[in-house]
This record gives sequence, structure tokens and C-alpha cells, in this order.
Amino acid sequence: MLRVLLKKQLSEVFKGYFYNSKKNKMRSKGAIVIWFVFFVLIMVGILGGMFTMLSKALCGGLVQAGVGWLYFVIMSGIAIVFGAFGSVFNTYSGLYLAKDNDLLLSMPIPVRTIIAARLANVYLLGTMYAATALIPTLIVYWITAGVTVPRVICGVLLFLIVTGFILLLSVLLGWVVAKISLKLKNKSYVTVLISLAFIGAYYFFYFKANDLIRNIINNADVYGAKVKGAAKALYLFGKVGEGSLIATVVFAVIMTAICTLVWKILTRSFLSIATDSGKTEKVRYVERKAKERTPFGALLAKEFSRFTSNANYMLNCGLGTLLIPAAGVFLLIMGRDICKTLEMVFSGRTGTSVVFLFAMLTMLASMNDIAAPSVSLEGKSIWIPQSLPVEQKMILRAKTCVQVIITGIPMLFTAVCAAAAAPASVPVRLLLLIAALVYVVFSAVFGMTIGMKMPVLNWSNEAVPIKQSGAVVIVLFGSWGISVVIAGLYMLIGYKIGAAAYLAVILALLVILTLILQHWLDTKGAEDFATL
Amino acid sequence: MLKIEHLTKTYGDVKAVDDLSLHIHPGEIYGFIGHNGAGKTTTLKSVAGILRFDQGRIEIGGISVTDSPVESKRDLAYIPDNPDLYDFMSGIKYLNFIADVFRIPADVRQERIRKFADIFELTGDLGQPIAAYSHGMKQKLAVISAWIHDPKLIVMDEPFVGLDPKASHLLKEMMRDHCDAGGAIFFSTHVLEVAEKLCDKVAIIKQGRLIKAGTMEEVKGDDSLEEVFLELEAE
Repeated sequence: MLRVLLKKQLSEVFKGYFYNSKKNKMRSKGAIVIWFVFFVLIMVGILGGMFTMLSKALCGGLVQAGVGWLYFVIMSGIAIVFGAFGSVFNTYSGLYLAKDNDLLLSMPIPVRTIIAARLANVYLLGTMYAATALIPTLIVYWITAGVTVPRVICGVLLFLIVTGFILLLSVLLGWVVAKISLKLKNKSYVTVLISLAFIGAYYFFYFKANDLIRNIINNADVYGAKVKGAAKALYLFGKVGEGSLIATVVFAVIMTAICTLVWKILTRSFLSIATDSGKTEKVRYVERKAKERTPFGALLAKEFSRFTSNANYMLNCGLGTLLIPAAGVFLLIMGRDICKTLEMVFSGRTGTSVVFLFAMLTMLASMNDIAAPSVSLEGKSIWIPQSLPVEQKMILRAKTCVQVIITGIPMLFTAVCAAAAAPASVPVRLLLLIAALVYVVFSAVFGMTIGMKMPVLNWSNEAVPIKQSGAVVIVLFGSWGISVVIAGLYMLIGYKIGAAAYLAVILALLVILTLILQHWLDTKGAEDFATL
Repeated sequence: MLKIEHLTKTYGDVKAVDDLSLHIHPGEIYGFIGHNGAGKTTTLKSVAGILRFDQGRIEIGGISVTDSPVESKRDLAYIPDNPDLYDFMSGIKYLNFIADVFRIPADVRQERIRKFADIFELTGDLGQPIAAYSHGMKQKLAVISAWIHDPKLIVMDEPFVGLDPKASHLLKEMMRDHCDAGGAIFFSTHVLEVAEKLCDKVAIIKQGRLIKAGTMEEVKGDDSLEEVFLELEAE
């Protein structure tokens, strides 16, 4: 039974790779292979590469200082944050809010089997992300310190202990979110606020990472002694990676005991949480004079309503709304100094700082990918927009427009800050400002196009279109790729024509691409949407 | 009001609807019956303009659903077999959304919402999120949203499923009133007793092909609709 449920869970997660919902048929073998290669490229190439570099930066110094265990403490900590980051809501919606909970609970399936299948899904996703940090951690260590049998055995067990811990953390936090959600009004906003506090802390440490690494390596023996003295458990944990069999046995036993305890709690509370409709007060209807809207206004309001009522959607696809103005404030304070440094470092390539500022703005804009999952989020209610007497392109435009508004307003502020910080003439600053705003439009249209090309309408958990769909992955990483290309091309050849001309060319390209994609959306895209 | 000419829709190798032709006139309640998978939903979706068909022509009030989809939908309301509405909206927000799209003036919509919500005893729940509605309440809301813009043609797929007996009775009255006022209704149902009592005309579809259509008297003669249907199904 567990196998059947697991297969169902996994087929839902990876459905987009095998099934083309637009054409309502399975993908060809070639297409499946291409999709998986793309997925592996992102996971191994981008994320794995990033963590390999970090491991290499840390490992040598720490192993040389005789505190290899500290290396494992740090890297495991990163893997835990990375693996559990976002899994909280995945667990909450996947475990307690899954649309097929009622169906499965009505079937002769033991509750513990349903939980086990759901947990396996959470474990797999958490492990998938954590592995991109953990595997380079282990390989770099084995290369640096040498491969021995105890190190390999303990390394594998460390992997299992850390991923098990990520599962535990996700389940516990998901359980807390589920409990809170049953009691709260305006839960989407509260959930977003709590999450932002975590994310804020995460970014605080992230931005301090370079200083921290340097500091740790320079004072490895001091920190090693401090941690060893103050937190014996962390020291012992780090020793697992170094190949200490005693430490490994201790942690394996502790993990097994905690897992058993959590399992017991979960099996007892699952049924009541999954079937509780909550005790929030009934909203009394008071008739008010209705406000008339145009059809487009109504569609736009509907999209805003969907966005603001869904914490998962806001957090995963709209985080840039807060980070963009934060970056603007940062640029106001530090922008000029950073630009000066960049111009000094790349003195042979004048205007680098202006192009880098633009690339940074594009990367920030790409953090909002609200349009990408919006077609998929229509789900089974897609018949509503399809049967309305409005041009289908108007529906797609309303979806695109939400992203443009939500990203464009903060971007206007930040682009002004960037223009103020840029060491350039007024026309170039204006160009930077306009190009950033045009990129916001391009980014939304690009997201909408990919979302329209790869819709997933048959989902039982909203996390599928929001987080796990191919469209979202392509839009997010593809957009970041564009930012890298913009900066990279300037360093390679763009500097020869100067920042002003380079930005003008990019702006022209963005306008052309936006118009092409919008034309496709207005014609073929709208036609496809009408009969999805 | 509704003219379906030689409608054909194929899924892969299977013909879901095969050369189906039907005419529905103002004032008619037209029942559409057939076994599961006979092609009823495919036909209704094609009429509603949410399914592309391979051959044939569908006109609503003389306007082709393929050539002028937006215009043809202005006089149409569609209720699917499962009322999957926008869970993130409250009932009143949803009704206002539909009214906005159909450009219903504020005072007119307010009066209609009040009237139909009172009929279905849903007024007190209009402020609730749709996610908190039962299946029956969603169905009632879907019915109100269909009636709110006073369409000429209402297309419904199994409209009585999930409704309590009182709501079913009220819906039947609303259907009759709508057609008496010059509108038309095309709906599918498995409840043959309802079709027999309510419909002016009926069509029976089997494996995508229309096997009998006409006034209730023409189709059933002296027998019951159930007897005729089972007899035709057995052939």
C-alpha cells in the first residue's frame, strides 16, 4: 500500500516531466530526458557548484587547523537551513491540507500509511535540496583529508542523520503552522510575517557569510575550542563527518529515538488536524453598495485576491516585493562606495558598475514570479474564466499585470536609488531606470509565457504549481541566468561599446522580446488558454 | 436560440460526439440524457465555448461560438457538473466578480443578489469564504451567478446534484420562469423523472450520436421516459 501511495505522491511531484497537460498526453521519451537533464543541470550544476566552492573555501583551512569537525558543523547547518527552507509550508500543505486527504482517509488505508507516504514525499524534497550541499561537503572533505573506510561509512550515516533531521524540523514546524492556522484569522498575512522573520535572519547570515568564513578560518582553533567547550553536542556531531564511530552511533541512536517520538505524536494528531475545519468565527454578511468595476478591473482584482489570500503564493512568488525596496535602501547607503570599488577593480572596463547595478536590479525583479504559476493555479476552476464573455488575452494580461504592479512599484523606488548611486551622466541614469522598469514588464511576460506553455491544472496540493512546477523552475533560474548573461557579456565584449550603448542595446532587446512574447500570449497563448 | 449543427469532437481515436445536431428555441427547457461517457458534457462544454471541437457549428442567438466567442458568451451562462468556484473569494465577492465581467449595474446586481440569495437561503453565508461552503452551497452560488446577468441561454451539467429537495424545487421553478420569460435552458441530467416533468423537449445521446430528440410526447409516447431510455440503450 505504501508503495502505491508513494508512487501517487511522486507522480504528482514529477508529473510535469512526464505529462504535457496542454496537449493532454504523455511527453515523448526525448522530451522527458531533456526535462530531467535540465533539472539535473540546475541541481548539480548551479546549486551543487555553489556549495562545492563554499566547501573548498572552508575545508582546507579548517582541516589544517585540526578542526575538521567544525567544517561539518557549518556545512551541515547550511544544508539543514537549505533543506528545511520552504519545506515548512510544503509539509503543512502536503501533509494536512492535501485535497485527497478525505478520499484517502475514507479508504481502508491505515492512517500511519498515509502519513508515511506524505512524509516520504517531504523527505525526498528536503533531501534533494540538502544533497546539493551535503554531497559536495563530503566529497571535498574526502579529497582534502583522504578517503578511509570509517570516513566513508560515517559520511554516509551523516548524510542520513542530517536529512532525517531536516525531515524532523519540517514536520515539527509544519505541525506548528497547522496548529496556528486552525486558530487564526488573516492567516495568510500572519504566516507571511512569521516566515519573513525566518527569511530575514537567513539573509542576515547569508550577507555576513564571507566575513564569517574568513573569520572562522583565521581563528579556527579559537572558535573550535569555544564550540567544543560550550556545545559538546555540536563537536560530537562534527566528529561524525570525520569518521568517529562512537559519535556516529550516539547520533544515530538519538535521531532514531527522536524520530520515533515525533512519529508517535504525528500519528495521534494527524487525523484531528487534517479533518478539523477550524473554529474561526463566521463572517456575517452585511449588504453594502457594490462597487462597479470594468471587466479588466474585475479580473485584476480577482488575481490580487488570489495572491493575497495565499501565504504559500506570496512567500514563494512575491518575496521580491520586500527585498527590492530593502535593496534600494542598501543602495542609498552603500551604493556609491560599491560602485567606486567596482570601477577601481575593473578599471579597464569603464561603466561596469552601471551594468552590474542593472544586472542586480534584474535579479531582484526576477525574485517575483507571480505570473508563472497563475494559469496553473486556476486548477479545476479554469472553466470560470474560459466561459466568461471576455477576450482570453484580457485574462492573461490581468495575470501579467499583477506581477508588473507588485514588482514595478518597489522597483521604481530601487531603480531611482540605483540611478542615484550610479557614477554616470543623467541620460545614462535615466536609461538605467527605464531599462529596469522594462525588465519588470519583460520578466512578467516571460513568466506568463512559460506558465502558459507548461500549465499543471490537475493538482491536489497548491504547492505543486507554486513551487514544484517546471514553469516556476524555468522562470526563476532562467531569469537569473539572463541577469548573469547581462553582466557577463559586458565583461566579455560589451565594455568595448561602453555602458550607455550596452544598456541601450539591452533595453532594445528587452522591448523586442517583450513585444514578441506578448504577441504570442495575445494570439496563440490566448487561444490555448480558452481550451486548456 | 441555440443551434448545433453536425457537431463532432474526437479524443484520440474515440469520437465523443459524432455529427450531433440540435435546435433549441426561446421558451424551451431542453433535457439532454444519456449514460456516463455518452458525450453530454463534451457537447455542453462545446456550447459554452470552453472546448474546441473538430467539426460542425454552434450558434447562440445566431452568433457562432467559434467565430465570435466573446459575443456569443454574453447571452450565455454555464454551470459545470462540479461547482469548482474560486475558493479564495467570499460568496459576495464571487457574485460581484461575475456581475462586473457581465457589466451589470450596481443597483441591478444588488437587487438580483438579494432576490436569489434569499430564495436559496444563502444571504447569511455570502460573507463566508467559498472554501467554507458545502457542495450544495457552492451549487446554489453557481446557480445565482448564472442567473445574475439574466442570460438568454443557460447551459447546465447535472444542476440538481448536491442540492437539497427544497433547493431543487426552487431551481425547477426558476428554470420554468426563465423560459416563460423568453429564455432557454439546455441541461443534462440522469434523473429521468425530473426530465420528464420539467422538459419541453428532450434529446437522448448514445456513444456520441443523437439517437432520439423532440418534444417529450414525441420521444416517449405513452411510455415513461425511463422505459424509452432503457429500451434505446439496450438496442
